[in-house]
Amino acid sequence: MKSINKTAILLVLCVALFTSCKPDALKELGAERDLLSSLQGNWKLVKATQVDEEAKVKGFPYQQLDITNLFPYTSFMFTLNTDGSNPTGFTATPGNSPKIIKLNSGTWKVDNLKYPKNLFFTNGTIQDTVSLGGYPVGATTLLKLRKEKRDFVSGKLLISYTYEFTKK
Amino acid sequence: MKQLLYSLLLLVPVFGAKAQNPSLFPSSFTAEDEVTISIDVTGTGMAGVADAYIWIFSNPDLSGGADGVTNGQWGNSAEAAKMTPAGPNKFTFKFIGTTMFGQTPAQLKSFGFLLKKKDGSAQTPDYKPYFFDPLIFVPTMARIFPSKVDRDDVVTVNFDKMHASSINDQRMAPATFTITMFDDLNNAVGSPLSLPLRKTDVTIWSGSFIPEASFTAAAGRRLFKFKYRFNGSILDVNGAPSSVSTADVDVTFTRMK
Repeated sequence: MKSINKTAILLVLCVALFTSCKPDALKELGAERDLLSSLQGNWKLVKATQVDEEAKVKGFPYQQLDITNLFPYTSFMFTLNTDGSNPTGFTATPGNSPKIIKLNSGTWKVDNLKYPKNLFFTNGTIQDTVSLGGYPVGATTLLKLRKEKRDFVSGKLLISYTYEFTKK
Repeated sequence: MKQLLYSLLLLVPVFGAKAQNPSLFPSSFTAEDEVTISIDVTGTGMAGVADAYIWIFSNPDLSGGADGVTNGQWGNSAEAAKMTPAGPNKFTFKFIGTTMFGQTPAQLKSFGFLLKKKDGSAQTPDYKPYFFDPLIFVPTMARIFPSKVDRDDVVTVNFDKMHASSINDQRMAPATFTITMFDDLNNAVGSPLSLPLRKTDVTIWSGSFIPEASFTAAAGRRLFKFKYRFNGSILDVNGAPSSVSTADVDVTFTRMK
């Protein structure tokens, strides 16, 4: 009888132990920041960097190049609008800059409203995706967008471009 | 009815797409990777044949080339060179660069091939050059950044005098670079374009361009490859400047998404 009781107690303890083991969500310290609204506004490109991702993986020299002044990248500006809780429209004014996103206007979305990682720009059937390299919050005022280019067949990452923007 | 319409719309890109011929898998590879060549010989001198043999060679148009170990004699190809049939007029062949050519990865820059009958009485044109990815960084006089580029990328060509080997290249004061663009039918696109170089290091001069911004392929065609060379001047025996250029370097675009 005693051994049955011990087994039952152990079983209950084990169940309690395992059900109480849940990963804590990694919450931000202090008041939660509204990352989506930090993206809203008029942005002007201040830096463009091109990275040879294969050279980086192989540890070769010549891994990245600052291309900001090679072409008139700094004439690129764009505006992201929200309705307060959701992304709405966007406009891009490329000036003489090389293409950074395929579209000049349309709507935009994010993959996660609370912690966005990817931005999806759409106009009709055309869509373009860029990933966020850094949120413009806190001490950081730069919005960093990253565009990856992969081998068409194998999907291997070959080149990436990082664009840094300041709020106008 | 709607579903039928959607199905038909989905099929449009399948029939509209034009596959690259020949195609290599994987699309980028080192000299130590297994490569599968797939080719459709329709429209060549080998159309309609049942048996095709590969004639393969390394470093075409460069020094240090070697014949594939499977080649045999031109008038009597070895059985090891026999391609695997993959449907009417279609063949495949697998090989590893270092094994095929008996050369080290450092020696292997590129390869080319053709298909032929066993007795050499019919053949396709040459297909070349296909470049091996380097396993180690090999500094060269002419280098592009990034090492693989697509048509809409920023392409930077670099001239490093430290690695020049000819007298003219070693003595040249670089000033410009010239790009000649080709489409997927190997036709020149527009006129060659010369742009200025800037000094970016003690022995390095660089110049940048965006292929699609400078060249437009004809309707239905696409930019496929380009050649570049560096131009400058040297002083002759009387101290007068004389124009010189380096040899052309070929770059084939890598299709990216």
